[in-house]
Amino acid sequence: MGNVQELWQKRRADYWEMAVRYLRLIANSGFLFTLYLLFIFGSYYYGEFLMWLPEDFPTVWVFIVLFTWLVTRGRVRTFVREADLVYLPPLESRMKPYFRSSILYSWMMETFWLALPLLVLAPLFFHRLSDSGALLLTILVMLSLLKLWNLASGFEEQRFQENSRVTGHTLIRTVLNVSAVTAMFTFQPVWILGGLAVLLAVLYAFYFNRLNRTHAVKWDRLARIEDSTVMTFYRIANSFTDVPRLKMSIRPRRYLNALLQAVPYRQKNTYLYMFSRSFVRSNDYFGIFVRLTLLGALFLYVVTLSWGLWLIGALFIYMTAIQLKTLRGHYKTSQMIDLYPVALRYRDEAHQKLVRVLLSFQVIVFMLFAGAVHNWNDGLIIGAAGFLLAFFYDRLSRKREVRTAGA
Amino acid sequence: MENVLEVSALTGGYQRSRPVLHGVSFSVKPHEIVGLIGLNGAGKSTTIKHVLGLMEPHDGAVHIKGRTMDEDMEAYRSSLAYIPETPLLYEELTLWEHLELTAMAYGIDEKTFGERAEGLLKEFRMEKMVKWFPSHFSKGMRQKVMIMCAFLVNPDLYVADEPFVGLDPLGIRSFLDHMKEMKEKGCGILMSTHILATAEKYCDRFILLHEGRIVVQGTMEELRTQLDLPDADLDDIYVAVTEEGRHG
Repeated sequence: MGNVQELWQKRRADYWEMAVRYLRLIANSGFLFTLYLLFIFGSYYYGEFLMWLPEDFPTVWVFIVLFTWLVTRGRVRTFVREADLVYLPPLESRMKPYFRSSILYSWMMETFWLALPLLVLAPLFFHRLSDSGALLLTILVMLSLLKLWNLASGFEEQRFQENSRVTGHTLIRTVLNVSAVTAMFTFQPVWILGGLAVLLAVLYAFYFNRLNRTHAVKWDRLARIEDSTVMTFYRIANSFTDVPRLKMSIRPRRYLNALLQAVPYRQKNTYLYMFSRSFVRSNDYFGIFVRLTLLGALFLYVVTLSWGLWLIGALFIYMTAIQLKTLRGHYKTSQMIDLYPVALRYRDEAHQKLVRVLLSFQVIVFMLFAGAVHNWNDGLIIGAAGFLLAFFYDRLSRKREVRTAGA
Repeated sequence: MENVLEVSALTGGYQRSRPVLHGVSFSVKPHEIVGLIGLNGAGKSTTIKHVLGLMEPHDGAVHIKGRTMDEDMEAYRSSLAYIPETPLLYEELTLWEHLELTAMAYGIDEKTFGERAEGLLKEFRMEKMVKWFPSHFSKGMRQKVMIMCAFLVNPDLYVADEPFVGLDPLGIRSFLDHMKEMKEKGCGILMSTHILATAEKYCDRFILLHEGRIVVQGTMEELRTQLDLPDADLDDIYVAVTEEGRHG
């Protein structure tokens, strides 16, 4: 391995090659259309929302809390893999350029993730805090610099062995970030901001930057951080397409065990037993289902037009159905399931049954909610449309699948 | 007595153009443990996949209790249990749920399931872990889950692929004792392994595979006579057979 810089370039290229492939799939999926729709609805109600917002709404605090969180969170993308635990530690003393590239790259990406919410919140900023665009831009630049400091210091932090010390340092950074972000959004004079900047720079130069003299890089932690970042990306991509490399993380959700008991002990129910447990515990099928249900209810609450209500109801039921469809392929890589002496057709039947139960539950929630908040006519229409979708959705989509398979 | 497993002139593999197995024939009778032995890449796993019905024979056939997979999939699969080389667990199911699911899938009635499960958990010292998820299991514990699932089914034929890997000594002992018990009850067992000393002690007959063909098969005595190595143990026989393959 001649050049660590080359290695870094290659790792980044590999990652983006993979990411672009998935991003293209996401862009081509029908989900983007629903996003446009939500965007249009969203921007219309955004203006209304600003007007409606009470005078004493703590706008500054919203900005401070949000941006403190955004600045503090986030780790350096090192592209370190598990196998590197074997190969790279011997090179550690020569790895400096590699890590510097990682920090700069992360800085670029994270600045984008700072700019995006700031842009979204810009109307609120202009409406309540100040109407100066130059000021907003200055704040963005300062936030970005603060982010760089956080990334550089945060990278040195990971050298500690004990998790408690890492958390302790993150807490210290959080306190410093709160002060800096508060100073920015309350428009403190330049000398205060400058003083803070000097303080942070000194802290980095004489403390964080010296940690490497006594503490080696903790490779397994780097690999873990990197792994969880990639998994987050996979999990998002998995909502749109099948990601085979997605490792499952399990949440027991024991409080739902009583519901799982509803599947009776019978050979025919083998697959329903599995699907229902996978739905509740793995890959966040359950989380997505709950979020879509709550989000749908929220939209039903805000929207007042009758046809808007119908559309929102149907849209969210449809989106939920798409998400639940991925559950069908959940055992594609399992070998044991193929050995069970239970006919394959029961597997599809079990999936269908579970999806219908779940969608019906959502339809009832939407129906009662819209009925109670608006009027019962709209509630009943949402209910009728929803049940039709819940029971015939899979018939439409299966035909489409066959057609694409034949093409 | 009718053979539990009958593999006749089996040619198979992933691709028809490049078969891995060439005319392999052997059988497993009731009351018998048969060791399937060979180097890495000899075709052991492919043989097992054909027995499990996960691959279709290019030529020849596999019968379990006189039936092929095509004739009656459900009966074929109900008659066998598989212990894989690497434990294949569902990350979202607890230990107890693995057992319950297996019992459900194989159509075991609830009462029998409860009794067998209790006994197995006790024997493999896993009673405290019934509510655990696999992410908290060590390699050996995962293997124990697979073994318990197989014994829970209580089929006519057991197929075990390197079942000892990762097990602690007590686990190996429990497993072997259980195997013996099942054998006495009339089951047939096909076991692939590299741990030859153990195989020699527990298996009644051996099949030595090399490059997709059976080189020799039989009891220890039969192997010694066929190869003309009167005092050889299984290790010697194994080396002799594979050396021969290399030179031939």
